[in-house]
Amino acid sequence: MDQFRRIQTGKKGDVFMVLFKDKKILDDTVLDEIRGELTQFLGKASGPDVLLDFSEVEFMSSAMLGLLGQLHRKVSGGQGRLRMCGIRPEIFQVFKLTNLDKLFSIHKDAPAALATFT
Amino acid sequence: MADGSSAPPAGGVDVLIAEDSRMQAKILQKRLTDAGHVVRWAENGALALDMARERRPEIIISDIEMPVATGYDFCKAVKTDPALRSVPFILLSTLSDPIDIIRGLDAGADNYVTKPYEPDYLLGRMRALLATPLGGDDEAAAATLEVSLAGQKFKVKAGRQQVLNLLVSTFENAVTKNQELVVANQELSVARDSLQKTNEELVTLNAEISRINSQMVRDLEAAAKVQRSLLPADQVALPSLDVAWRYVPCQSLAGDFLNVFPLDEERVGLFVVDVSGHGVPSSLMAVTVGRFLTPKVADSSLLVRQAADGRVVVASPAEVATQLNKLFQADEFSGLYFTMLYGVLHLPSGRLDYVSGGHPALVRIPAAGGPPEFHGAEGFPIAFVPDVQYEQKSLQLEPGDRIYLYSDGVPEAMDKDREPYGEEQMAACIAGGRGGPLGGSVAALLEAVEIWCRPEGPLDDVTILGVEWRP
Repeated sequence: MDQFRRIQTGKKGDVFMVLFKDKKILDDTVLDEIRGELTQFLGKASGPDVLLDFSEVEFMSSAMLGLLGQLHRKVSGGQGRLRMCGIRPEIFQVFKLTNLDKLFSIHKDAPAALATFT
Repeated sequence: MADGSSAPPAGGVDVLIAEDSRMQAKILQKRLTDAGHVVRWAENGALALDMARERRPEIIISDIEMPVATGYDFCKAVKTDPALRSVPFILLSTLSDPIDIIRGLDAGADNYVTKPYEPDYLLGRMRALLATPLGGDDEAAAATLEVSLAGQKFKVKAGRQQVLNLLVSTFENAVTKNQELVVANQELSVARDSLQKTNEELVTLNAEISRINSQMVRDLEAAAKVQRSLLPADQVALPSLDVAWRYVPCQSLAGDFLNVFPLDEERVGLFVVDVSGHGVPSSLMAVTVGRFLTPKVADSSLLVRQAADGRVVVASPAEVATQLNKLFQADEFSGLYFTMLYGVLHLPSGRLDYVSGGHPALVRIPAAGGPPEFHGAEGFPIAFVPDVQYEQKSLQLEPGDRIYLYSDGVPEAMDKDREPYGEEQMAACIAGGRGGPLGGSVAALLEAVEIWCRPEGPLDDVTILGVEWRP
């Protein structure tokens, strides 16, 4: 079911799994494409459980945080849960600088993150 | 080779072709056979002459460039052979050189057809030649003519009929080529008109693009000007406080801005704001945020308001952040948010109350010496999470202490290997300037960031604000 350029997608039970394929998420074009693909993947699901895997991502701009904020609202607005994993220290720094490491539920890897959905 | 033994059907004649290209011979042979002629083919002039002597053809069509014997040799041999001389002879020539005509005349050719030719044209020439039989005796008695061409003299022995035929064929050829030229010229003319039209459309489009572009440049300049109005005055004169700042947007419009100004008799407000992203959307948000962060008592100001008794009331930093967060919660989050560090410094006591909306910690350089200190406050970026109360912190300054506020464009500035400049280097750079003037330390930090980012330069806005409390 992998029809996207920027994200690799899958379902594990009711959890929507998303892996960001880009090593660098820096410019607005990439960001807009990710936003579009996420919207398409999650479709009309209300309050879905979503797992975002950052293990491929080496560089990320703070504008990406805005996109994560949008997703956080969409998910939590419908009682869904958002989990993130595979965040390397350089990327974690972006979350830490903005205190968003305390807003988002961040886990080591996909199995660890998936375990928290049960 | 066609079978020469069969007699030509009605209307058809016995044709001999001399042509060294098998392919061209086949094509011509097929056309002639289709037209009802009987065709023999030889691949050079010598063989063709043998075949002509073996059985006299009614017409000969010969190429010029051939091995063993050329078309001229073959033609001369035919025209000097009493038994063959009255056979009409057509030379297929590229006619690239006018001398070809003289050579043809001299050889005794009756007609030229230039290659490439239309088969119908060749068949027409054949019919015309066959309709005017050549008088044998007249040709035999032909006088020798002297012709001058291109600085060369040629002696040509040709009969009147032959000269006439060749002249007519040359003329017809010229007319045909001319018609082709006229057609080609018309096509060129149509193409030129169409090109000209396209060109005019391009010129119009170009002018339109240029107009839109200069409009956009003007708009951007106006927007950048509005944005600069959010910045402090060049010389900030405040009692007991030194101020220095640098602000370098990475595009013409920025998401960063800063300010420092008195809020009342005793207090100074200072902040650095960093709207996520760059360009027009971010700068629009920056300008909108700026309207609320004004020290002027007005409806829009979140920093000061007038109490019922007329006194000016200064809002606490926590209040300001909480209010801003409320104001910028859109129903549908655009993805734009901002980080902010806002502080209120009480000048008589040196107490700084501050709040952070997801903004990097401020750096304090103690006057008494000792390492630089980071002071941050917890709080999410503004417009990010609905209904949050922002936590306020306090920092007691000592006389001569400096504090530095900055945007993440400083510690996150990346070198060519995408290595961030980092908080440690930043703090060390700031601390290194503690002996010198405040402005020098701010300028040195900006320079360090710019050197770090060589050769591309910073990818993010870089904003630095330093103050020194000197009561």
